[in-house]
Amino acid sequence: MIVANGKPLEEIIEVVKDHRKILVAGCNECVTVCEVGGSKEVGILASALRLHFLNQGIDAQVGETTLQRQCDREYVVGAREEVEPHDIVVSIACGVGCQFMAEEYDTMPVVPGVNTSFMGGALERGIWSERCQGCGACVLATTAGICPVSRCAKRVLNGPCGGSTKGKCEISKDLDCAWQLIVDRLKSLGRLEDYETLAPIKDWTTDRAGGPRTRVKEEVAS
Amino acid sequence: MSFAQKLADGQFATLVELEPPKGVEVGAFVGHAQRIKGKVDAVVVPEMANAVMKLSSLGGCMLLAGKGLETVLQVCCRDRNRLALQADLLAAASLGITNVMAVEGEAPSYGDHHKARAVYDLDELELMQVIAKLCAGKDMAGVELEGAPSFTVGATLNTGALGTVQQELAELDKKLAAGAQYFLTPPVFDLDSLAAFTKHLGDREVKLIPNVLLLKSVGMARAIGRHLKHVHMPDSLIGRVKDAPDRVRECVLIAQELIAGIKAAGYSGVMISPLGWEDRLPQILGA
Repeated sequence: MIVANGKPLEEIIEVVKDHRKILVAGCNECVTVCEVGGSKEVGILASALRLHFLNQGIDAQVGETTLQRQCDREYVVGAREEVEPHDIVVSIACGVGCQFMAEEYDTMPVVPGVNTSFMGGALERGIWSERCQGCGACVLATTAGICPVSRCAKRVLNGPCGGSTKGKCEISKDLDCAWQLIVDRLKSLGRLEDYETLAPIKDWTTDRAGGPRTRVKEEVAS
Repeated sequence: MSFAQKLADGQFATLVELEPPKGVEVGAFVGHAQRIKGKVDAVVVPEMANAVMKLSSLGGCMLLAGKGLETVLQVCCRDRNRLALQADLLAAASLGITNVMAVEGEAPSYGDHHKARAVYDLDELELMQVIAKLCAGKDMAGVELEGAPSFTVGATLNTGALGTVQQELAELDKKLAAGAQYFLTPPVFDLDSLAAFTKHLGDREVKLIPNVLLLKSVGMARAIGRHLKHVHMPDSLIGRVKDAPDRVRECVLIAQELIAGIKAAGYSGVMISPLGWEDRLPQILGA
């Protein structure tokens, strides 16, 4: 899933303070699962904003909505009746959802209420960890299912750097060295010989070297 | 007199852009520079223009400095992060380089190493602010330097952006605020078109150095007119090259006329880009 962090309330207030009809828009997908942008968080942020305006003696309306998916035009278009009576939208979906809203409602300011951070999963309730950078050329088959691009601080592709100590990364003693994890798992799989193979110099064209990416599935694209 | 002094005194400065080689055979590069020594104020050494891997700008500048030529170092955002950019700027200053230009750099997909991962840790404006900060004695982390560099800082101005003048002027104001002391333009083939842009500059004090790219053939003129959207290539100029009995001589003549026209119009200087016609530079500059 896409993992995000809520922006500080003061930062959101600074952006919306001159508006009087504010819509807080959440999303039922990733940001709901990572507990930052679902209907529950929409309610909390909207209440906080109402309290702010009340304390300032300002008459402002703060609406609430949660779309099924803000990264899907079908749902974004479907929210028109809720969006249009307002004069600003605070999207607490990921950066994709926020942009899809802005693209659809071209005269409506749409601002983010979260900082979109990474693609990852929950280690346990309340703790999420990065697992993928979307480099576009997955190497997991040769790295025992552990991604050196997203989990090694230096994106090293051919074994640990000199900063790996007792299985931990040089940037933090709390961070596992991705290559230690890879070597350990290759051993468990009985495939340590994979570690001997030199990875080819990475082609970053599929990452961002080729500019923003678009995927077309021709059999379904109209 | 140095390039910086000429700029400060309002004297016309002549710059020449010389591409370093792709390889370590530097004889031709240095030789071209030596043949124009005394006729140019500084040689601009591009940093892997069009994202094509070559000998670096810093290396090229040092090779030419060793032969007594003044240079302009290009500092490029594409390939270095803020640590490397600052480190190279300090190295450049300590080696005697006084002129720098911040450039964004074309994306790797333009060049011959399209699989490269670009850096772009800083953009051009941020880099200019960093240069100003280094000159004021501190690095980006706010740490005091053991000796501050001193640079004359150049930037680019897209004078061909006649359709989006206000946007370009906003960019210009940001670059002026970030410390740009002179501006290089895209290739100019039509001085009227350049003047149409410069009349929008108002009371800004902009030291503008138009670029004269040496035309070499009708095909090149047509290709520029067709593909470079910010360059105005008059049909009459294409016709002039096409109808000339000696096209090479006509191209040289056009460059000489453009340089003279730029000087007469009161611009701060000219930058000549020979792009393969380096051996004709003495003839063009001797005019």
